[in-house]
Amino acid sequence: MSAGAQSAALETLEAELLLEGVARHWGFDLRSHSRPQLLRRLRRHLREERLESFSALQARVLHDGEALEGLLRALSCTPPALFSDAAFFRDFRSRVVPVLRTWPSVRVWHAGCGTGEDTYALAVLLHEEGLWGRCRLYASDASEGLLADARTGVVPLPDEDCARRHAESGGKGSLSEHYTRDGNWALIHPKLRDGIFFTQHNLTIDGSFNEFHVIVCRDTLLSFNRALHNRVHSRLYESLARFGFLCLGRKESLSRTPHAHAFEELEGSGRIFRRVS
Amino acid sequence: MSVGLLVVGAPRGAAADLETLLSALPAHLPAPVVVTLHRGPHDRLVEPLGRRCALPVVEPDDKDDLVPGRVYLAPWGYHLLVDRGSVSLSVEPPEHGCRPAIDALFESAADSHGAAAAGLLFGGHDDGLAGLGLLQARGGRVALVGGEDVEVLDTEVERLSLHDVGGWLARLAYVSRGRVQP
Repeated sequence: MSAGAQSAALETLEAELLLEGVARHWGFDLRSHSRPQLLRRLRRHLREERLESFSALQARVLHDGEALEGLLRALSCTPPALFSDAAFFRDFRSRVVPVLRTWPSVRVWHAGCGTGEDTYALAVLLHEEGLWGRCRLYASDASEGLLADARTGVVPLPDEDCARRHAESGGKGSLSEHYTRDGNWALIHPKLRDGIFFTQHNLTIDGSFNEFHVIVCRDTLLSFNRALHNRVHSRLYESLARFGFLCLGRKESLSRTPHAHAFEELEGSGRIFRRVS
Repeated sequence: MSVGLLVVGAPRGAAADLETLLSALPAHLPAPVVVTLHRGPHDRLVEPLGRRCALPVVEPDDKDDLVPGRVYLAPWGYHLLVDRGSVSLSVEPPEHGCRPAIDALFESAADSHGAAAAGLLFGGHDDGLAGLGLLQARGGRVALVGGEDVEVLDTEVERLSLHDVGGWLARLAYVSRGRVQP
């Protein structure tokens, strides 16, 4: 066995012991996460923490709840800015909003909200379309630390790119009407912030907690392996009302999930599906 | 073929060279080919790259199967990683200012396939050098095309001109058949 292969085998062993420890001690089972992504994020976390090995990280994480929060934070990937994907919001406006207008009330679930940038963008959109009064927006994430950030309603101050993407998404008026500036930060208007229910929910183990008309779960399931990915899709399916909408990331597909036949993709939309049976 | 996976990295400037490489791939290649080319949001690459290639060129969705004889091209805005039997897309932060990044692909190939992976990097950009080194350390066969100005590698890496790439591929493909067991 070459030296390179040997150190790789050792690293794999240490990574497995770390994940086993986290699962047994804290109840966060990361073993069903996408292996290549998990390894990369763990290595980056290691570099940032200036630790030598996964064993050293394991020792720290098992004894220190804050270190666990740091780890979970490192494993999450949320977009750093409002309206990071203009095309999605444009399609949502043109294809989903007209249907929502015809319903008396709408429950929306943003699964995997991270630090909340996309949740607030969604809230801005619903407000602009005059749906805010009729919508109840639930946002969830597995990490309590990220949720605490999201709840504050403080996001990095939108720059020109944000404003441009907001306009590209079909935004009405100016993005700056929805926040007040505080130095380099933007405080989202309390009217929007207080209308969002941020709740801790772990997609991998927690059950369905309501029936929703719209579920937004974009690029969150990328971090799971295929078995867990399919299991979570069953949960999303159970949580979605008939004729409700499921919004996925641009390169996420339903074709390998158990409920693919129950959905129709909206033509010309970036991965927005409607449950038809 | 002794190689179970071929990973290719190309900076933006090497797009034409990449097309030449893809056109040189044999039609019955018994391994998947996974390609990261630096790209912008509006580059349409699948059709132009597929035109002269004997193999189907696709931009995979997350968790698509890795099938031998198919060319997988990293979509814009995602890192393309490989697992044992499937691709895995990721929205981690850009590396070297790029997403897709070549290092990300090569690192995942070194993890999942180790010595069974072969890597080919077109020079001209910092991105990919670290991944190529890692892949080599894990026993994978690697080569650098062009990039004469590149001298920062820790270890010696086989260097090819574009002209030699066809021969390099052929050697990969025939190594096991050429060896006669006594």
